[in-house]
Amino acid sequence: MPLNIDWQQILLHLLNFVILFAGLWLLLYKPVKKFMNGRREKYEKMDADAQQKSAEAEEKRAEYEQKLASADAEIEEKRAAARKELDNYENMRKSAAEEEASAIVSTARENAAREKERAVSDARSEIAGLVTEATEKLVLKESTSEAYDEFLDAAEKSASEKNGGKA
Amino acid sequence: MTKKQLGIFLTVVVLLLAALIVGIVLTDGLYEKNVNIQESMQDAVLHEGDKVWFFGMQVNPGLISAYLVTAVILIFAAIVRIAVIPRFKIIPGKFQLVLEEAVGMFDGMAKNNSPHRNKFLGAYIFAAAAYIFVGTLFELVGFPWQSVAEKSVTLPAPLSDINGAISLGCLSYLVILAGGILSTHVRGLGRTLKEFSLPISMSFRLFGALLSGLLVSELVYSYMTLSFVLPVLVGVLFTVMHALVQAYVLATLTALIYGEVTEPYVKKSKVRSKENNKQTKPEVNV
Repeated sequence: MPLNIDWQQILLHLLNFVILFAGLWLLLYKPVKKFMNGRREKYEKMDADAQQKSAEAEEKRAEYEQKLASADAEIEEKRAAARKELDNYENMRKSAAEEEASAIVSTARENAAREKERAVSDARSEIAGLVTEATEKLVLKESTSEAYDEFLDAAEKSASEKNGGKA
Repeated sequence: MTKKQLGIFLTVVVLLLAALIVGIVLTDGLYEKNVNIQESMQDAVLHEGDKVWFFGMQVNPGLISAYLVTAVILIFAAIVRIAVIPRFKIIPGKFQLVLEEAVGMFDGMAKNNSPHRNKFLGAYIFAAAAYIFVGTLFELVGFPWQSVAEKSVTLPAPLSDINGAISLGCLSYLVILAGGILSTHVRGLGRTLKEFSLPISMSFRLFGALLSGLLVSELVYSYMTLSFVLPVLVGVLFTVMHALVQAYVLATLTALIYGEVTEPYVKKSKVRSKENNKQTKPEVNV
């Protein structure tokens, strides 16, 4: 062959290169690439995790903001409810106090009426006693004027005692 | 005389003596090579006179270089696999960074050029680039080997042997063809066959690029007067740069054409709607 081209030597060169290719692929190329791919996957996973966590944090932030906004409304609502409850309680207390006061007043009125009745009946019985006593004295004494004076003194005395006791 | 002045004086004297010795050696005809430059360069290209034994077969020394390079790369890979890769850290150290950068670069090249089918392509261009790079640097070692004629020959870069270059170029073409057939079936086959000049261009690009470095080096080494300092520059220019450039070129070309032939077919719509035609048709006022 021209230029010293030899098919046998070409095949021997091919055999040599195939051995080299197989050896390099197994010993160097594949393990290094595997390591590089593993590292890239690790960093991609870390990146994906970080993005996911960031998204979760963002979601939580939005959720908390929403909760915060709803908490303000809830607080306002609860404040209104408490105010309403307080008003109810005040009204209840007031009505109870009014009822108690009216009960006290009615009892006092009843007592006053009873006292008045008793005083009137006492006064009647006393007047009746005085009349009886005066009549007896009139009958027993000589002069009518004396008897009348005594009657007036006794009545005045009785009246002053009553007035002094009340005052 | 201060210490500094004494140092300068001694340096100048040593340099003068060295220059004189070099001059004496260079002017002596004893050290000139007797080998004809034409023969030397023909041997470098065709290797007809420096065949070596390989399991009972007479082969070019480039084949021995190829197997040695493969052995070196595989031993290095095995050591890395056993001692380094299990200790990889999430935050890489310097060596780990170099390994990751190398693998990542070819993997990225495969993914960018061939987004639809790239797992095998990445591994292939990684191996091809490693082979070209280390193989080209192997030339700098100047490993001696015994030829069939029981002479000492220096092992060249594997791809400066035309058989090595043809094998890699054709294998790249076969990889592209296989990728095309697997991904787009008959269309992939057609697309790959359309690039029929690819194996020849790939093979001879590699061969020519590496051979040019070898020839220039041979030319330089043929003359004793050019054997000082200059080989360092020539070695750097034609070996290290070739190692990088050729590895990158073959990997890029393979990835690019592989991406083209594995691209899924998208049917182009020929029918345009009447409304669009109306809109695009210019109005003519009569």
